[in-house]
Amino acid sequence: GGQSFPEGEDPSVSLFRDYLRLRTVHPEPDYDAALRFLDRIAEELELPLKKIEVFPGRVISIMTWEGTNPTLKSILLNSHTDVVPVYQEHWKYDAFSAFKDAEGNIYARGSQDMKCVTIQYIQAVRRLKARGWKPTRTLHLMFVPDEEVGGYKGMETFVKQPEFHKLNIGFALDEGLANPTDAFTVFYGERNPWWITVHCPGS
Amino acid sequence: STDESDPWWNAFSASCKEMNMTLKKEIFPAATDSRFIRAVGIPAIGFSPMNRTPILLHDHNEYLNEQVFLKGISVYERIIPALASVAALPNEA
Repeated sequence: GGQSFPEGEDPSVSLFRDYLRLRTVHPEPDYDAALRFLDRIAEELELPLKKIEVFPGRVISIMTWEGTNPTLKSILLNSHTDVVPVYQEHWKYDAFSAFKDAEGNIYARGSQDMKCVTIQYIQAVRRLKARGWKPTRTLHLMFVPDEEVGGYKGMETFVKQPEFHKLNIGFALDEGLANPTDAFTVFYGERNPWWITVHCPGS
Repeated sequence: STDESDPWWNAFSASCKEMNMTLKKEIFPAATDSRFIRAVGIPAIGFSPMNRTPILLHDHNEYLNEQVFLKGISVYERIIPALASVAALPNEA
């Protein structure tokens, strides 16, 4: 439900805006809404969707398009479903309404980080399927919770589990950042987080 | 690896080149799930096809233009087949 196709809008944009309206925002992300959304997509694409509950209420979903040579290592298209909180009073529009202005700018928490990429993977796969193309290597689209709070109840734990190794991944794509110029930024490494807790005892 | 001899990087960057995209290679300034993937020995590239867009992740008024978004779908429509068609590697024979 909740599908909307404003007149004249590209269906991919409408799907993106639908997904932006799901409140997968910390500290209590509505992950169930994301899972229902992904169920719907998997049904539309006719691809199996496997769900692995890494922690209670923390489910990793994997949509798999099997390749014509499934013995080869697979390609992972990874994205996280959670988004960071908002200070709504500093926003021009409701951060979960996916308002689109006259210039076509879509305002929403997650519009850059990284619900755009999730829908782009899905729509690219949808188009490739529609034109009859088939992958040689298996493709896995993975949808992960918890990235914005460090990944412990998501990817950090999952990569150590047998279900992850069974995916036989050879190469992965994951999120990057916007670039204000004409160029596209590509990251081949990253800094390590080193989170510290500062205790300030006082009277 | 972003060495031209790396078959994954080569497939990725060659398809971007075919689309006349300029790539800027960087180290991610923060941390993402990719670090866990790399830690278990799987090469990973961080890429969100957003150019001509101010960096507004985690910020107020985060937005993306619909044309940039739509262009990104076409970008993946080229990159995904390139990656899925990388020939069997020596260790996969």
